[in-house]
Amino acid sequence: MPVGPFGIDPVVWAVLRLVIAVVLAVFLVLNGALAQIFLERKIQAVMQDRLGPYHTGPFGLLQTFADAIKLLGKEDIRAKLTDAPFFLAAPAIVFSPMIASFVVLPFAPDVVGVNLNVGLLYLTTLGSMTVLGIVIAGWASNNKYSLMGGLRSAGQLISYEVPQILGLVTVVLYVGSLSMVDITNSQPGPLVNALILPFAFVTYLIAALAETNRNPFDLPEAESELVAGFLTEYSGMRWGVFFVAEYGEVSVVSAIMATLWFGGWHGPGVDAVPILGILWFTLKTYVFVLLFMWIRATLPRLRIDQLMGFCWKVLIPLALVNIMASAVIILAFADPRLPLAVVNWLLVGALVFGLPFTQRRRLQGFRKRTRESVAMRDVRLSP
Amino acid sequence: MTVPLGAFIAVSAVLFFLGAGGVLVRRNAVVILMCVELMLNASNLALVAFSRRAGQLGAGNPLDQRGSVFVVFVLVIAAAEVAVGLAIILAAYRNRPTVNVDELHEMKG
Amino acid sequence: MFDILEPLLFALFALGIIGAGVCVVVLRRITAQALLMALTFACMAGMFLLLGAETIALFQVLIYVGAITILILFGVMFTRQDDRGYGLFFQRQSPWAAALTLVIALPVAFLAFSFKDPSTPSPKGGDLTPLAGSLFTDYAFPFEIASVLLLAALVGAIVLVKRDEQ
Repeated sequence: MPVGPFGIDPVVWAVLRLVIAVVLAVFLVLNGALAQIFLERKIQAVMQDRLGPYHTGPFGLLQTFADAIKLLGKEDIRAKLTDAPFFLAAPAIVFSPMIASFVVLPFAPDVVGVNLNVGLLYLTTLGSMTVLGIVIAGWASNNKYSLMGGLRSAGQLISYEVPQILGLVTVVLYVGSLSMVDITNSQPGPLVNALILPFAFVTYLIAALAETNRNPFDLPEAESELVAGFLTEYSGMRWGVFFVAEYGEVSVVSAIMATLWFGGWHGPGVDAVPILGILWFTLKTYVFVLLFMWIRATLPRLRIDQLMGFCWKVLIPLALVNIMASAVIILAFADPRLPLAVVNWLLVGALVFGLPFTQRRRLQGFRKRTRESVAMRDVRLSP
Repeated sequence: MTVPLGAFIAVSAVLFFLGAGGVLVRRNAVVILMCVELMLNASNLALVAFSRRAGQLGAGNPLDQRGSVFVVFVLVIAAAEVAVGLAIILAAYRNRPTVNVDELHEMKG
Repeated sequence: MFDILEPLLFALFALGIIGAGVCVVVLRRITAQALLMALTFACMAGMFLLLGAETIALFQVLIYVGAITILILFGVMFTRQDDRGYGLFFQRQSPWAAALTLVIALPVAFLAFSFKDPSTPSPKGGDLTPLAGSLFTDYAFPFEIASVLLLAALVGAIVLVKRDEQ
């Protein structure tokens, strides 16, 4: 009769572990959203040379609580002609896949909700179910602008699922397993996958920015376009659910990046004290969350045709080349790490330097027109 | 107590005939497409059930996955078929703004 | 203690599949039909999980719920669907079609129960490794043909909806 940890029957322990994982996930997501909202406002403020919230609580730390209380107290306005069951269900359909993703993330050496042997496929599948919720939200609002915003967002999300999956496939080819725990265990020590597969990382980073509707791909929910897109008719806590879903999705995507490319819970001191893995995992995840916020404060927004063109004409061909080269190298060489690294860094160089190179005519045109407009302005100013 | 193989096949059969009835009766082109998807799903279930429960290449070889491989191809083909089918419906809609197959029955433009 | 779990889940998923299937065929609101079809797909994925085919279950959700449902919703939103009687639902053929369906379906469903499980038990374990092994070694050629077919479908769908630029 096998005995599980703490002397509990292993079947009961498996179910209990799942329940604990779910409770922890809800706790983490809600608190993480609070922390991220506060961090976002403070960091954007610092980067924009202003102060951000500082009034409520020390350093404005209680600002998010105040926001949450305000949202909860708002009146539940619902337009009369909206499709009631779908209008109410859409936030749930957007929120549930995000929460369900936390079950397979490995936080520490034995701390994982369930070690699925298809963990990465499971995460990808959940990412694609969010799109359904957004389309339903756009449709159920019975509002032209919401519908347009929802369909545009769906188009963007579906398009960027492809580079996302292509980036993940490269890592899976190298590691040889879809299980998140196996991927973490394949990177002991400082030789992390980011040094070997950087192009897959860059592809996944850009695709993740688009998948979570973050700047520079946040056209569907930008306030200056389409009146907040598919979120227009949602107010109060329903909008709060979408908001928390977005920040939760950012956490999930950052956690995936930390696990796949930067070693997950590995870090100094984990061999001695396994529970330290949680600290390293959280730190790495939040490095990427902060990176997302940094990008949001820095880059301007892309138009829908620009971002679709970038996805289909630049990211997908390069990602496919990466997969082909990686597959050939892994089959050809006994130790594929150095050739893989060479190919990947070359592709990163191609992306970083090739993009301005192929757009050089357009850049020259910009420079010429800027020079002309500056010259005309000087002519007008002179007496 | 494990579920017998026949139960899965019965569910698959009922779903298939539901889809077939839907294709015969409904008049909306998009709904007909949805019923075709139901039929494809039913056949997927039958294939996977046989593959996982009874899939043996004789002589006790336990790894015959032909049914599951076929299901992967059916998934791919179903996706392609929905895309092309909807493209056809949209093109026909542009010509004559209706999706009722009763009104789309003439080839004359 | 968990013996009753598998038949219970099977009954639940079967109810979901048949119920949602009936609603897809019978209902008149097309958005409800599309979402109930997504429910059918999700319950079907649950059936696949019961059979031990977790990779195919996840593929089912990824492709059917995540892509095909959205395609059909796009198709619904770009065409105007008049809900007022598209020919009455109870037109001349409906009773005959329902009767024919029942007459064929029920005997087939009863016959289905005559399939017996084989005497040798099927192998345990997931289906990721066997499926991947079969797909990429024995059936690599059909795999490549399927990718060409997808390319043809992609190009064909784009060509079909292109407007003629005057």
